[in-house]
Amino acid sequence: MRRRPGKGARQSPGFLGMTSAAAIGTAERQRAFHAYVEPEIDVLLRVAQTLTGSWSDSEDLVQDTLIRAYRAIDRFDGAHPRAWLLTILRHTHLNSIRRQRPDLAREGMDLATQRPAFGAARTAASAEETVTDRLLDDDVESAVASLDPRFRTVLLLIDVEQLTYAEAAELLGLPLGTVMSRLSRARDRVRTQLRAQPRLRRQP
Amino acid sequence: MISTVTTMLTCHWSARRIQRYLDADPSAPLEPAEIRRLEDHLATCVKCSAAAEEFRGLARMMARWSQRRAPDPAIAARIMMACEALLTEDDA
Repeated sequence: MRRRPGKGARQSPGFLGMTSAAAIGTAERQRAFHAYVEPEIDVLLRVAQTLTGSWSDSEDLVQDTLIRAYRAIDRFDGAHPRAWLLTILRHTHLNSIRRQRPDLAREGMDLATQRPAFGAARTAASAEETVTDRLLDDDVESAVASLDPRFRTVLLLIDVEQLTYAEAAELLGLPLGTVMSRLSRARDRVRTQLRAQPRLRRQP
Repeated sequence: MISTVTTMLTCHWSARRIQRYLDADPSAPLEPAEIRRLEDHLATCVKCSAAAEEFRGLARMMARWSQRRAPDPAIAARIMMACEALLTEDDA
């Protein structure tokens, strides 16, 4: 394994914004990658899983995204790494959909209408988690699963993956107001559904 | 009668802002005056403060879901190895 280049490690993370248009050196690109890209890998994986519905597809999507990010990093100004990476992820995802499903591909396709798969990612509940919590969790997950995919994706990205409104808008290629209204309607529906289905009536 | 209508209008006004108030998202902040008016209303309106409590509970449940959904460490490890390879390749 390679050691990180030590030279220049004291520079602030904002240094890229001050470079000239000339291509920057390999060491700077590597440093920028460590500083801006690596801290976001976990979020990228989660978001990619939400979009694709599978962890193995999300691994491929994130790998392709990271390669593109590395190639483009000398044009990145260092301002909003997550938003920048989410945009690359979005384009990469749309390209792969066009490649795999030419029948679905069309310009300006709304990513938020993609239907993510659910339920595959449940991990074993921890010992301290109470039975009530688990029942509630199941109720929430089935309420969310029953939402229209356009609403569900926005809800998952913001409330589960903790993206900001602006980051979700960027990722889905939607106006901020659309994201906010879908989020609000999704939450209202989940809230109503949780009220309508008392836990005691749940099937085992 | 008039005060009932005023309360209903304020409930309607509040319902349109309550989620933005709870989220405090940097992309869509409420004005300080809106926050004051909303907090005044929540302090006195049972219906709206119950709705706020439900949204808070939902937010907690969704955040807990996030913890259950952590990516497989093996995937994260493979991604990091691929990153190292990407950076090393560029050195050559």
